[in-house]
Amino acid sequence: MKFFSKIKYPLLKLIDVSGFKVFDPVIRLLYNEEPQKQVRDIVKYMVLPIIFCFICIWAWNFLGPRHKTKSGEVPTPIEVWNVANDNYRFSEREEEKKTAFSLDGDKRKEEILFVKSEIVKLEEKASFLQQESMRVTEEVKVETDAKLAPVNARKDALKAEIKQAKAEREAEAIAHAEKLMAGQVTPDSLVALIKKHKEAVDEEKAKSKLIGDELNEIRDNPPKRLKEAQLAANKMEDEVLHYKKRIDYLTKGNKEQKIAGLIEKSDTAIAALAAATTPAEAVKQAKAVVSSSEAAESTAEQKYPPAATIFYQTKRSVATVFVGFLIAAFVAIPIGIMCGLNRVVMACLTPIISIFRPVSPVVWLLIFQIVIGAFFPDPETHPLFMFMNSPSNPLAFLRTDPAMIFSACTVAMCALWPALVNTALGVSAIDKDHLNVAKVLRLGFWSRLFKIIIPSSLPLMFAGLRISLGVGWMVLIAAEALSTSDGLGKFVWDEFQNGSSASFANIILACFVVGIIGFVLDRLMIILQRLVSFDDGSAVA
Amino acid sequence: MHDAHRRFDCNKNKFMKKTTKKITVISAALSIGVFSSPMLCAEQLDVEKDTLKFGFIKLTDCAPIVIAKEKGFFEEEGLQVEVVAQPNWKQLLDNVINGELDGAHMLSGQPIAATIGFGTKAHIVTPYTLDLNGNAITVSNAIWEQMQENDEKLDSDNPPHPITADSLKPIVMEAKEAGKKLPMGMVFPVSTHNYEFRYWLAASGIHPGMYTSTDIKGFTDGDIELSTTPPPQMPSTLESGKNVAYCVGEPWNQQAVAKGIGVPVVTNYDIWKNNPEKVFGVTKAWADENPQTLIAVTKALIKAGKWLDATDASGKLTNRDEACRILSQKNYVGADFDVIKNSMTGFFFFQKTDKRPLPDFNVFFKYHCSYPHYSDGIWFLTQMRRWGQITESKPSAWYHETAKSVYLPEVYRKAADLLVAEGTLTAEEFPAVDYDGYKPATSDFIDGVEFDGKKPVEYINSHKIGNKDTVK
Repeated sequence: MKFFSKIKYPLLKLIDVSGFKVFDPVIRLLYNEEPQKQVRDIVKYMVLPIIFCFICIWAWNFLGPRHKTKSGEVPTPIEVWNVANDNYRFSEREEEKKTAFSLDGDKRKEEILFVKSEIVKLEEKASFLQQESMRVTEEVKVETDAKLAPVNARKDALKAEIKQAKAEREAEAIAHAEKLMAGQVTPDSLVALIKKHKEAVDEEKAKSKLIGDELNEIRDNPPKRLKEAQLAANKMEDEVLHYKKRIDYLTKGNKEQKIAGLIEKSDTAIAALAAATTPAEAVKQAKAVVSSSEAAESTAEQKYPPAATIFYQTKRSVATVFVGFLIAAFVAIPIGIMCGLNRVVMACLTPIISIFRPVSPVVWLLIFQIVIGAFFPDPETHPLFMFMNSPSNPLAFLRTDPAMIFSACTVAMCALWPALVNTALGVSAIDKDHLNVAKVLRLGFWSRLFKIIIPSSLPLMFAGLRISLGVGWMVLIAAEALSTSDGLGKFVWDEFQNGSSASFANIILACFVVGIIGFVLDRLMIILQRLVSFDDGSAVA
Repeated sequence: MHDAHRRFDCNKNKFMKKTTKKITVISAALSIGVFSSPMLCAEQLDVEKDTLKFGFIKLTDCAPIVIAKEKGFFEEEGLQVEVVAQPNWKQLLDNVINGELDGAHMLSGQPIAATIGFGTKAHIVTPYTLDLNGNAITVSNAIWEQMQENDEKLDSDNPPHPITADSLKPIVMEAKEAGKKLPMGMVFPVSTHNYEFRYWLAASGIHPGMYTSTDIKGFTDGDIELSTTPPPQMPSTLESGKNVAYCVGEPWNQQAVAKGIGVPVVTNYDIWKNNPEKVFGVTKAWADENPQTLIAVTKALIKAGKWLDATDASGKLTNRDEACRILSQKNYVGADFDVIKNSMTGFFFFQKTDKRPLPDFNVFFKYHCSYPHYSDGIWFLTQMRRWGQITESKPSAWYHETAKSVYLPEVYRKAADLLVAEGTLTAEEFPAVDYDGYKPATSDFIDGVEFDGKKPVEYINSHKIGNKDTVK
């Protein structure tokens, strides 16, 4: 109990520093401190926001399907949840294939038996769902035809009517023209007649367009269950396909099997070499031995080439943003300090800062592709990439490539400015008394820098860095989409390009993933910022 | 026998793990003796590079590359291949040039244009043509209605085909007189789509505009404005009115039908029967460095092409359903299975009510199509000259030389010979040994003009609209 009461204030301090002040009343309530006030606070600052979130989700769920465009409709929260599951299954599949690729021995045999039995089960389900989907398709076709029939009948009737009206009008016009020839009517009246006819044609057109729209409306909006049945059948067929692919990876695509095959080939060649009767034959076989054992060797080093999953893309995005952010910090802080200390430096840099700060990340990316691209004429043999992607490097899973470097540099370029400006501001706003004290103590430049200037400008510096990281994260998504650097940006872009029925839901899913990670990054920076601040931190939200 | 075999395999595997040195591998192999192999009967080439990265654009005609990976044809050649989607044709080409990608799914015009220096300059070569046909021109609903008014035959659920641009011409001219050139979309300046769209328009007397040394957009003298739009954006530009018509590959025409925003009026099969569409391209430098790898890749692609075009006794395409399933995975084309299936299984939806059999809409192997014919390259060169992308007049010999520096039938031939020797394919499935790379002259065009690959300049001159040269 004593321990319990002892950690009260450290706990409160912790949630304060980490920026989760909302939980403050919960802790206090646990300690029975002014329960009524705490409950009131909890209701005000926790329960109400949660209710509000639910209202938002409900509104989304309600309004989404009602907002239709030709490109699709807004997916509901459930659909987004479903694609999140699909993405998870997709990454699981990659893992399963990867395992299958490198399994060997008895485990492989067991796995083959297991997967084969699963295939039988899944195929049964798939064929049932296929039949179901076919049944629904038939049903819907009958229904739609029934709906279309009366409209089509009306359309045909209208067409006949229009045809007749057209013939009548033509006859009338000719008759009128004949009268004109005979001098019975004025030319103006013929013009008026033609004008009237034109109006009639326009009216007819409007009518047929209306019917056409009605037909399209029926054709474009098949009942939802049709799509659902098709998707369910497709999903199961995909699963079957995946299991068959797994069998491939367990048998002929299996690494150890491939090596075994190659060794056997070299064995055959060795035997043939021993039995060779002509020199040419012997040389040929010896070559075969060397080439198949070399192939076996390189196969032994082969790795399963994984497809990009959302988890991999998220990891890569986070890594890229940190690389960019660190570059930005290393450049911005020294320059910022110089600007803050010396007004001449500030004056020199002001035009550069003001001109380049508003430049769009997209522009930077294109510039970096050329400027930095020049340093990697051949990425495969470049030492940086060889080092980053060597199997012993723990970061090899990131599969660093030039596109990633371009994205990181773009992030750095855009994240630079807030940190730079804030650092300069922080340094120039140091209390004059502090500097006077330094003067009195006759501190040298370096001790003045590290003992007084940097410590007292830290809060603002970190406020700037926090903005930088936020900016960097936003910029990154755009940069990745454009540079094809694997990451969340590419995920979004690929989904947009897929244009499938799940694409929109996937994009909204990415929106949540990006948002949540951005939120976590921001919290991390808040903690850092609080840790270096002398004040109570109430200045920062 | 089979189990005993597996046990030996395991023994060998243990050996393999301990060793990476060549000598040890050989001695391990020696100590075990000779067994017949259950797999990998195919003769593997001594490849220079076994881990490759290929790029593709999300269109169904990337199928041979994806299928070669997913059906294990690359692996049979000892290649470990990663297939990566690219955002657009420009970036794809740049990534091939800067070495990020080993090779890629390319527009037929791309290797040629890059080699002659229209756009990004780099010597790109191709040993393999991925497919024939596969594109269509889609017009917006409003334009379709006006076309129907201009030509009563079109006003039906199943209008007669092929549809020419004759009924479009009055609409274009009316708009032009009103001071507005109708905006239309194609996917890339050197894409097949651009040339096909221009061909179709020009065949009905609509001037699609010329490229000049100062007008790289190709609007000069045009009755319309034909500009570049990335394929996935096509349907939405049609809906927003940014384009009133577009020419693009699948699934983007079927998508327009499915969403009810446009009507495909003509496929490129009707514009030029069995026209070459996409190729597999690598840089010349890469091809020189990795000759054996290139042959191995070509072998795998040939197998994939054949798999895609396999039919049963009744002529039904047997593997296309599976191919559509694979392509509908999100890391490949990613569109809905049903949409991809519409065009790939031998049918095409012109309207929701108008589904027609079109067995040759996607051809991946038939008609010796995967062979890199010189005459295909020459056709693209003639179009580049016709529309002014090649700014000065060139002699016939130049066309032949250029085509020969880009297309590599010798690589294809080596791969084919190996496959025939292995017994995977038969010699009849490839062009005859003495074939010179020029397809026989054909007039299978929408306007009936004859194309003979051996007479490029004469061909350029046989068109009404476009540049004319003097025969040298």
